[in-house]
Amino acid sequence: MEINISQQGALQVVAISGEVDLSTSPKVREALLSCIKGAHGVVVDLSAVSYIDSSGVASLVEAFQTAKTKGLGFALAEVSETPMRVLKLARLDQVFVIYPRVDEAVAAMA
Amino acid sequence: MNEPLELLVEIGRHFAATLDIEATMSLALKRIAHLMAAEGGALFLLEGDLDGGQLVCRASHGPVDVRGLSIPAGTGIVGRSVANNAPEMVWDVQNDPHFNKSLDKQFDFTTRSILCVPLSVKDEILGALEMVNKSGGDALFTQEDLTLLEALAGSAALAISNARMAGELAEKEVMRRELALAAEIQRGLLPAPAGEDFPVCGVNRPARVVSGDFFDYFTLYDGRIAFTLADVSGKGMNAALLMAKTASLFRCLGKEDLRPGRLLQRINAEVCETSLRGMFVTMVAGIYDPTTGRLVLANAGHEPPLLHSTDDQFQALEATAPPVGIPPELTGGGPVPEEVIYLEGGSLYIFTDGATEGYVEPGVELGADGFKAMVQSGVAAGQSAQTRIDAIADCLTKDGVVLRDDITVLVIDDAKPLQERLKRGDNTALKVVKRDQAMGENGEDSVFEGSLCALTVPARAESLKLVRRAVSETSTACGFSHEQCQDLVLAVDEACQNVVRHAYGGGDRGGQGNQSQGDIAVDLRREKGSFVILIRDYAPAVDVKKIKPRDLDDVRPGGLGVHFIREVMDTVEHLPPPDGQGNLLRLIKAI
Repeated sequence: MEINISQQGALQVVAISGEVDLSTSPKVREALLSCIKGAHGVVVDLSAVSYIDSSGVASLVEAFQTAKTKGLGFALAEVSETPMRVLKLARLDQVFVIYPRVDEAVAAMA
Repeated sequence: MNEPLELLVEIGRHFAATLDIEATMSLALKRIAHLMAAEGGALFLLEGDLDGGQLVCRASHGPVDVRGLSIPAGTGIVGRSVANNAPEMVWDVQNDPHFNKSLDKQFDFTTRSILCVPLSVKDEILGALEMVNKSGGDALFTQEDLTLLEALAGSAALAISNARMAGELAEKEVMRRELALAAEIQRGLLPAPAGEDFPVCGVNRPARVVSGDFFDYFTLYDGRIAFTLADVSGKGMNAALLMAKTASLFRCLGKEDLRPGRLLQRINAEVCETSLRGMFVTMVAGIYDPTTGRLVLANAGHEPPLLHSTDDQFQALEATAPPVGIPPELTGGGPVPEEVIYLEGGSLYIFTDGATEGYVEPGVELGADGFKAMVQSGVAAGQSAQTRIDAIADCLTKDGVVLRDDITVLVIDDAKPLQERLKRGDNTALKVVKRDQAMGENGEDSVFEGSLCALTVPARAESLKLVRRAVSETSTACGFSHEQCQDLVLAVDEACQNVVRHAYGGGDRGGQGNQSQGDIAVDLRREKGSFVILIRDYAPAVDVKKIKPRDLDDVRPGGLGVHFIREVMDTVEHLPPPDGQGNLLRLIKAI
């Protein structure tokens, strides 16, 4: 699992790749929470995530809630097939703000 | 040539041509009786000692066949001759105090005179030649008769002695050949080397032709490897025979009983059913999983195996039960306690005391420290496990140093550390074994019977990748769609996570579970058109009532796992574990 963080205007784009599971999700959580501290909004790029479990989903939920309480934007983008299936199982596809593409998310949230 | 000399030459020729003493002596007695006009003659051979032994008639000539007649050594005139190693010439037998009259009565015969000479070679008394009742003339044996009989006795004694030595030699040769055959059969009981990549190998050097030590290993249906090493007390043929029995029991029972502790218990019960005459077997049995590096070990009274870790530390694993051969009534008869070890790239050395107590040079033992040093230098030199243990055996079997005991070493070499295995991810060589659905339902280990794939991993976050890989491959093999496979992987992952996080209580959000906290056993089965997943842990029982899926309207982190499992699977059941310990979860999905 790898995390790449890039600045796009006032937004941070967090690109996650590989498997997000019990052993790697703490890193995802840490990265997301620290991004929220120093940004106006966060876009999470899930295009290269091959697997995500409940602990990974929980990290996303926690970051989403933290951003919300701070009045910051938080969106998911380019959610690949596997994580989308998991989000749907959790009925979270209706909770998260999800954009088909990263640039769309950045444009919408700017 | 005069007649007596001619006779001696002829009989001498007979003796030289045959080892059949009795036939030659019968002929000789006939000829010599004729020559000295005696009524009869007999050959007596001493069986046993002069004191308490018997003089047995082995050849006779005359009106009465007395072959087989046995008299106590030291009795009668023949007995006196043998006891004194001196000839007897008795002209008036009936008045001799040593004469045994009952024999005459028994054979309806009247003995009048006796000429008797002892048979001896050097100081060894073999028996005597006796002639009775000279006829004609004054009917008295003469000095000439005595000389002739002594000459015959001399060559007869030599012939008898030669024949006996030849017999002993032949017997020894038969024994030697039989022993060589036994050794060959015994070597056949040891497993053939399985090749460079195989993680288990051994070496055995018998101190004598046959050995009381043995080792064995074989691959189980699920890719795990069962192994054993044992040392039978003693070194001779009796030890070798008990070794063969124990080795066969291991081969036979080891394929059906996958718990090494219980296997040793069963082998002990079988071995104790036969009379052991005080012999016993110290024995280590175990099962090693090359996929995870997990090793389960049971030790019945054997020398502590040495665990050599990748950071060059040694750990001795002490025996936890008495040796095999101690009747279960004396020990309580339970299974031998098991120890679970993760080799994590290290090696486990199991050896007999012949290896540590063997001489490197006369009078100097290799010792435990010497053994460790050889292991270390072998590892440092990058030698294969087989080369390392061969080197140890070689240094103890140098020319000129007498082997005092059999030398046997077995090594389980976990070449790939666990973390490396897990990192390999998709390349992990998991064996998905397809088996017939109908497997026997007997045995408590039914958790692993009829399974497509079974694996036991440490309950850590890092192990989950391996579990996912196993589920992915197995469910694909069952014919599930790509999406269904993904769902099944998620469900099993979540169930295992719950074991790591809740049952064993490792890490509040996971990921911190780096310290091993027990095992998770996952068994993937195909049963009656369904994919069945059994997940077993050995943690304290979890209160099932407290497990509930989260309310999905309540958006907060965590609590999703159980929901995922119930969403994906058709049936989720908490079952009582087979032996009342830990937790057992059964997940079912129709194929």
